[in-house]
Amino acid sequence: MSDEQLIREITAGNDAAFKTLMERYQLQVFRTVMGFLHTKEDAEDVTQEVFIRIYQSLNTFQGGSEFSTWLYRITINMSLNFLRSNRKKRMLQSLEALFTLRSEEKNPLEELESAERDRRIRKAIDSLPERQRMAFILSRYQELPQKKIAAVMNRSEGAVEQLLQRAKENLQKKLSPTIGK
Amino acid sequence: MHTEHPIDELIRREKETEPNPYLAARVMAEIEGAKKMRSSAPLWQTLTLAASIAAVAFLGISIGNSYVENGAAAVALNINDRQIENLGYYNFGDHE
Repeated sequence: MSDEQLIREITAGNDAAFKTLMERYQLQVFRTVMGFLHTKEDAEDVTQEVFIRIYQSLNTFQGGSEFSTWLYRITINMSLNFLRSNRKKRMLQSLEALFTLRSEEKNPLEELESAERDRRIRKAIDSLPERQRMAFILSRYQELPQKKIAAVMNRSEGAVEQLLQRAKENLQKKLSPTIGK
Repeated sequence: MHTEHPIDELIRREKETEPNPYLAARVMAEIEGAKKMRSSAPLWQTLTLAASIAAVAFLGISIGNSYVENGAAAVALNINDRQIENLGYYNFGDHE
């Protein structure tokens, strides 16, 4: 069944159709949110909120763009809103993660180094300008083609290409003094 | 680029993270819960609103009825300030 058919079913009151739609897209939404938040628990919470919002506003979806484009836009907006309202909590979480990581393959020093490297990379991604971060996450976490990213971000393909190039340069600049050695 | 590999590695690990298999069920339960709340709200809200309006009207009438007019005559404030300011002083011819 196509997305359009499912949406018609849902707006007619068929909740089972919504479950089908959710199962179709839940992994994509979850991965995109992971790109912004980096923690499973927060990503699950935001994914849940995204689908509840979708369900509540499905009757306002005009069909002017693809359903997935609309879904990605809502996902990005809700992830950014979550980040803005939970900045302090997230800072504490990232420090906590640094001290609670356990791995059987690495010794404690290697574990700490690896956790610190991850933290730096996440911080570098999170500190990218908003549009660069959006393009980067959609491209790397979702592996969306530039055409699709352009549709989600309401930009031209050329602009998306530029954003991705700048994001790459910025990450290199931020990380090469510590990680690129 | 030396930094590419660690970034790819981190993204690969984050992409491998699977959401809770009951996430869809959790969302459906939330939606069902919200629906039930919405469908039961109107009757509950209507009754509460009607009861509040009746209580306010009853309270207003009771307070109005309990008011008893004070029968005592009004006491007019009459201050004779002649003692304070002896105006007669200016009328004495000796002082002119």
